[in-house]
Amino acid sequence: MFCQHLTNELWKLFGKKRTYIGFGAFLLAQNAMLLAFRFTRWKSDLERMLDGNGYLAQDYVSSLTVAVIMLIPQVILLLPLYTALVGGDLVAKEAEDGTLRMILARPVSRFRLLLVKWLAGLIFSAALVAVLGGTALLFASFWFPWKGMFVFAPGMVFNVLSAGDGLRLYICSQLFITVNASIILALAFMFSCFNMKPAAATILALSYLFVNLVMEGIPFFERFQDFLLPHHFRMWLLIYSQPTPWARIAESFCVLVAFNLTAFLIGAAAFQVRDIKS
Amino acid sequence: MIELENVSKQFGAQLAVDRLSVQVPAGEIYGLLGRNGAGKSTAIGMMLGQVWPTSGNLRVCGHCVLSERHLALRKVGAIFESPAFYDYLSGYRNLQILSAYTARTDARRIREVVDWVGLGSRAHSKVRTYSHGMRARLALAQALLPNPELLILDEPSDGLDPEGIHEMRLTILRLHRELGLTILLSSHLLNEVEQLCTRICVLNQGAKIFEGNLAETRRNGKWVRLKTTDWDQATRQLAEQGLISTHRERRLVALADGVDIPRIVRALVASGMEVHEITPEEESLETFYLNLMDRGGAASTHPTSSPSPSS
Repeated sequence: MFCQHLTNELWKLFGKKRTYIGFGAFLLAQNAMLLAFRFTRWKSDLERMLDGNGYLAQDYVSSLTVAVIMLIPQVILLLPLYTALVGGDLVAKEAEDGTLRMILARPVSRFRLLLVKWLAGLIFSAALVAVLGGTALLFASFWFPWKGMFVFAPGMVFNVLSAGDGLRLYICSQLFITVNASIILALAFMFSCFNMKPAAATILALSYLFVNLVMEGIPFFERFQDFLLPHHFRMWLLIYSQPTPWARIAESFCVLVAFNLTAFLIGAAAFQVRDIKS
Repeated sequence: MIELENVSKQFGAQLAVDRLSVQVPAGEIYGLLGRNGAGKSTAIGMMLGQVWPTSGNLRVCGHCVLSERHLALRKVGAIFESPAFYDYLSGYRNLQILSAYTARTDARRIREVVDWVGLGSRAHSKVRTYSHGMRARLALAQALLPNPELLILDEPSDGLDPEGIHEMRLTILRLHRELGLTILLSSHLLNEVEQLCTRICVLNQGAKIFEGNLAETRRNGKWVRLKTTDWDQATRQLAEQGLISTHRERRLVALADGVDIPRIVRALVASGMEVHEITPEEESLETFYLNLMDRGGAASTHPTSSPSPSS
């Protein structure tokens, strides 16, 4: 029955149009960025940077390089927005529409209901990131050749890789982006378990993230960066570092997974004691 | 089938349900009446384990709702006012999703119920294309899928047109007659309750102010409807003989203590008056309810200190 419940939850999630807003936005953003990269100084600036560091720009301005360049702003800006939107809907929208009351007139436990919704949310996160990563690489390959990979993130990564290694790390980084997406989704999901509107849950989750981001930029909070989500969200970029800081990546991974579980449990506890009324 | 024992629910400072005790035996159509905010939906929410009671015990189908909710609700179907569905999915898919929360339901059973409620070929259309009446049928179908023994209906006719209300009423009777279901019906439509229910409970400000058979609500004390050739003379003579205590509306007389209808008839005939009609006045549920609310409204201003005038 658990699998049946999960399948039904996925039907509900992927059956509604607003679930696809994120997918659509990513496609638009990726194509807009590709055009900008191709026809503005963005590309020449990158070539100059490579040349300045002793690399042949023509060997590394490739579809893999451009795909990662496109991913960075999308992971920071769009991914939180659309995962929070879906996460905020998971419980609060059902409560608002009245379908939650229909479900809870049946002998299903609240915990199981939430567990199924949370798992469906994780599957959505994975699907969104897979599409994001896949289409970024696909669209980039229409405009740029398949060659070596160059990854640059100020203060974190500066590395050049062969196409094979680059692709391997690119796929690996998608797994870590999925973890990031699931954290934001779980945060919005947690808020949506309380008695509030879906939009409020989404806004609260994004606000939490924004406050984390602002705090990280304030020198005073540098010593507390281990407690701030954006610090751990960067593990997907660290995967491209040479040598790979596995300990740091593992630490962030564990913190994020623990955060995810904690958000779920807080949400489940709040939902358990809630009165469900029309 | 449903047992509530001193159940209370407090939302902050507001007492939504106040020490409510109700027993719904199997096979009954039990009506729950009361104003908006009287606590009917909260009471139903508590029966379904959606609202946590502040105090008291609740048992449904012989199981405690708080500790054995999964057993208590296994044979329960529910319909709420303005039933909500996943509008972007088909009616059939909605039934699959909702019924799976009770038990695995095979396609044959879903088709059977879909046909029973008369949804037929439209079951595979998206719910957003359904009329209000079709949504009501879908709501009924989802409630019937778990093969319920108990059906809880919270304002099931809400928003339906007169034909829809009539059809819903017939369906409820059919469910009771053909499937032998116990039905708890919360409704504002007094004529609906009057035509369907065998027993009612009236709530006011969270407290029970009446519980009894529908027949009890129709009894109207000593009032008798009387038609004679001369109303003024008849009432004057009956009053002089001490047979009536009062009269009103030029059609109703209140019998004095120990006086019955044959005695009135004998007195009038002996006075040479013709009696065209004399019959005990039956009160409509509406009149009973409104009188009760007038009394109950005043009484439940201090509900904890006033005894409830239940039967």
